[in-house]
Amino acid sequence: MKVSKILFVSEFEELWLDALQSLMALRKAGMNNVVFLHVISRDKVAMRRGAGYLKQEERKLKEIADIRFIDWAETLFEEGMEVVAHIAIGNIVPKILSVAEIEGVDLIITARRKRAKLEELYAGSETSDLLRRTVKPVLIYNYLSQSGKVGENPFERLLLGLDWSVSSEKILDYVLALKGAVKRVDIVHVVGEKDVAKISRMEVHKLERSNKKRLDEVCDILANERFDARPHLYIGKVEEQIQKAASEHRTTMLVLGAKRRSIWKEKWSGSAAHSLADKSDLPVLIVPAEVK
Amino acid sequence: MAKKVLNVEDDADIRTFVTTVLEENGYTPIMAIDGAEGMEKVKKERPDLIILDILMPRESGIKMYHELKLDPSFKDIPIVMLSGVSKRTFLRSQAALTEFGDETVPEPQAYLEKPVEPEDLAETLKKILG
Repeated sequence: MKVSKILFVSEFEELWLDALQSLMALRKAGMNNVVFLHVISRDKVAMRRGAGYLKQEERKLKEIADIRFIDWAETLFEEGMEVVAHIAIGNIVPKILSVAEIEGVDLIITARRKRAKLEELYAGSETSDLLRRTVKPVLIYNYLSQSGKVGENPFERLLLGLDWSVSSEKILDYVLALKGAVKRVDIVHVVGEKDVAKISRMEVHKLERSNKKRLDEVCDILANERFDARPHLYIGKVEEQIQKAASEHRTTMLVLGAKRRSIWKEKWSGSAAHSLADKSDLPVLIVPAEVK
Repeated sequence: MAKKVLNVEDDADIRTFVTTVLEENGYTPIMAIDGAEGMEKVKKERPDLIILDILMPRESGIKMYHELKLDPSFKDIPIVMLSGVSKRTFLRSQAALTEFGDETVPEPQAYLEKPVEPEDLAETLKKILG
């Protein structure tokens, strides 16, 4: 795996230059190509009763986006990076998916996207929609965090949430590709409350030992690549424990795996990764199990 | 025979503007909507001059310019940059690419910042192509 080309999705209201600058830490991991995408929502230029298609408005919005992207791109060009830009009209998620495919990006960066309450109840957030439909890793920024600021290097202290599934292997491969940008990795496995509720104390200890052994193995893989990696075992509800661990270890980014699920499966059985992507104050990197 | 001018530009309105200027001044316009298509058209059409934007999908004008100037078959095709990106940034970007191991490339024949007046574009083309 490699992270040389990133797709930076911005609506200029939620993902700013500081988020883009914070991603420059990825240059140490070989990132040299940035794709900008701005999607103008269709209802800003069309579908207005009696007004027809607002061509002048489209031109104005595209011009504004172009000026903003040129300003951002100039700094990157001067550092010898390749920058391309897409300004499109339509629905955000399908546009992200199509540009990610056309450009062959290794990572999608987007802000958390909400929908109107009623729509979200039935269709989930746009973030969940994107996560369900893409096979590319997605980094989600929470622009509504209390500080409202993006840290200088969000890749500095990663928290890897591993559940020993195929996703966990993908996460590990992906983090290895981030070498150079990452300073410390805290590897966390959460044993569910239900898993220990009906077993003997002896069996709990066995479970603890086997999980610690696996955590140590992952640490060794990372240590061999000169990462500062530490293992941690938690017991409880996955979402809660991940957030607790993040706060204890001064994490700057959560890295979680996810399987593609149908909207109904997602709605009823839920996914800790998707839920944290929607709720966490920290940037959340989701690595799909299907990532190549 | 009319000289062929390739315009590499993602903005449809500017493509229409440049096409009009080219046709009114007796040139044959060829269009490409990004740097990747631009490179294909250069190989296929061998234009007499290229008008090149910078910030586009798929491949930027900065990369395309660098590739053309390092290719012995195309390095002599005159290039007019037409972009919202400043000339200073363009020159610095070419210098940065050189730092990463590429050879030094010459400056473009002309650098026009958007928006450009039709007379200025026509005059620039006339100076280069005669």
